[in-house]
Amino acid sequence: MSGSIQAPAIDVRGITRVYKARPKDVIALAGIDLEVAPGEFFGLLGPNGAGKTTLIKILTTLLLPSAGTARIFGFDVARETKQIRRIMNMVAGGEQSGYGILEAREQLWMFSQFYGLGVREGWRRVDELIDAVGLGEQRNQRVSTLSTGQRQKMNFARGLLNDPWVFFLDEPTLGLDVSAARAVRELMVGWRAAVPGRTVLLTTHYMAEADELCERIAIVDRGRILAIGSPAELKRRVQRESIFRLELDRLTGGPASLARLPGVLSAVAATPVRADANSAARPTVAINLVLHQDSALAGVVAALDGLDAHIVALAKSEPSLEDVFVELVGRGFDDEGDPEQPPRRAVEPHEAGQPEPEEANR
Amino acid sequence: MIEATIGRDERFDPARTRGQGRADLFRSFRTAVALGWKMEANWTDPVLFFIYSVAKPLASALILVFMLQVIAGPAGQALRPFVIVGSALWSLVVSGIAGLAWAVLDDRERYRMLKYIYVSPSSFVVVLLGRGIARLAVGAMGAGITLAAGVLVLGVPFDPGAIDWPLLLAVLVLGLATISALGVVMAAICLQTRQDSWTYPEAVAGALFLVVGAVFPLSVLPDPLQLLGLLSPLTWWIAGIRQALFPGGPSSIGGTGSAWLRLSGEVNPNDLQIVLVLLATGAVVTLASAILFRVGEGRARDRGLIDRTTGS
Repeated sequence: MSGSIQAPAIDVRGITRVYKARPKDVIALAGIDLEVAPGEFFGLLGPNGAGKTTLIKILTTLLLPSAGTARIFGFDVARETKQIRRIMNMVAGGEQSGYGILEAREQLWMFSQFYGLGVREGWRRVDELIDAVGLGEQRNQRVSTLSTGQRQKMNFARGLLNDPWVFFLDEPTLGLDVSAARAVRELMVGWRAAVPGRTVLLTTHYMAEADELCERIAIVDRGRILAIGSPAELKRRVQRESIFRLELDRLTGGPASLARLPGVLSAVAATPVRADANSAARPTVAINLVLHQDSALAGVVAALDGLDAHIVALAKSEPSLEDVFVELVGRGFDDEGDPEQPPRRAVEPHEAGQPEPEEANR
Repeated sequence: MIEATIGRDERFDPARTRGQGRADLFRSFRTAVALGWKMEANWTDPVLFFIYSVAKPLASALILVFMLQVIAGPAGQALRPFVIVGSALWSLVVSGIAGLAWAVLDDRERYRMLKYIYVSPSSFVVVLLGRGIARLAVGAMGAGITLAAGVLVLGVPFDPGAIDWPLLLAVLVLGLATISALGVVMAAICLQTRQDSWTYPEAVAGALFLVVGAVFPLSVLPDPLQLLGLLSPLTWWIAGIRQALFPGGPSSIGGTGSAWLRLSGEVNPNDLQIVLVLLATGAVVTLASAILFRVGEGRARDRGLIDRTTGS
């Protein structure tokens, strides 16, 4: 099979992976279907053990699937490994990898040779990437002396040596402190923004990271994709009502006066943000307003005049990706749950929304 | 900053999936040798290097020489070249067999880099061979020092002018290729095993030590073990080196009561026979190693063992 520009960057069909184990086999992936368009920043979000890393291992040719097929730009991950390895790369987090005795620059150069760069071209690329990831001062330092964050930056530079067309990032910020994690995220965004045609598949169990970086996300649990969509789409999926936080200078009649309005499901007093005693600002009245739909808000705003109230602040409360996960799975990320129990609501891939052609080419 | 490092093409170019064939293989091999040399010859710790690469093989040879002296008395003097050469070469065999296997274990368990090498477009076996060559070179240094000590310190009679260079060159090339092939087999095995398989190569080498005529002739063994020894290319390699360095010396293969004598009707194999049998048995081992590595790599990939660490 030869790759073509029409082929999806990642095309996964019915991938199953079963690990032989005692007392019984472990099903890491239970029939995954997934399509990632060229240029997408795609996230796999799920708790530990969901199957994210197993899928990345299969896509990066480290592991064979038990059943199903997976293709990278049309090349089969089981059989056409050489072609795939020239156009993809991977970085994993949460590990202390590296040849400690080598200098950072040496290690990167060796990998440049494994990726087929010429000697001089290799050194040039290494020096550029070392500067790009902010390791200029550590370029001649032994790998064993680098901090965890510095090692991950070096790992990132290694991952970029061959200008990968598909970049697999497996929990790349795992174990990093806040500033190092931010630096790695900035690297991801900066690298991809430079060449929009390049594809990133990120696995993470940090929801904020997935929310911030990914254009589309697949929520994975126990080897199944439960939902796919943009972060906004996924959140809308669980948002059955419109929830607003309304802050007023005063409210004659209290929240009950709003609860009677058409389209208002409930109006409950909330703690004002500026209610502390030391604040010089005037006290306000905060209300959590649950509406049947967004359009009911206009009636509420119109009614405020009659109630002698003025808006100080108004914000729509968005559900988080964690809310989405809880809604879909029936438990939080950190809860083990009962492995025998099926997810609360499994969403078929077609229902979850594969990218439309125009969306795929963005 | 990142923008400066990469191209601006926004469309996937299928030409990027094509490599440069042999040039890629050579580049990978050369780089792996350099990497292996850096890792194996850890010059920052010369004491450690000396102990493992010089003192250990030298001590092994000396133990055998003194045992021979005690058991055989003055008559053992004639067998010193036999023992010194066999012992020195055996340290090289152990290094060669272990080199690739330890590269697998090192990179997977200690450095956690095996998966990154594996998913690079380089040929995996070529990278491992490069790493193994470095360890083989370190082993060769130990063997050379042991031979030199035998000549200079233990009085082994050695005439450089009598060296059979064509034979030496032929058996060296064939033998080192065969040792590397055995290393490939061990690497395929260690891809399947746990961290504590560090000792497997030495265990295998130890078992082979019995039947290859390294420090005693095969004729002292029972027939089945003699036949096993005759099927091992290492037996012919060691015999060939001995014959090239010390022409006319005692043979580890033939002699009175040997299976070789009964099979061939000749007391000792000649140079051509040594080279031909080494070539044949070495080819079988090399072919088998290629098949075993392919099967082993496939099994490791199927079972998710390429990046599975067991030590932590």
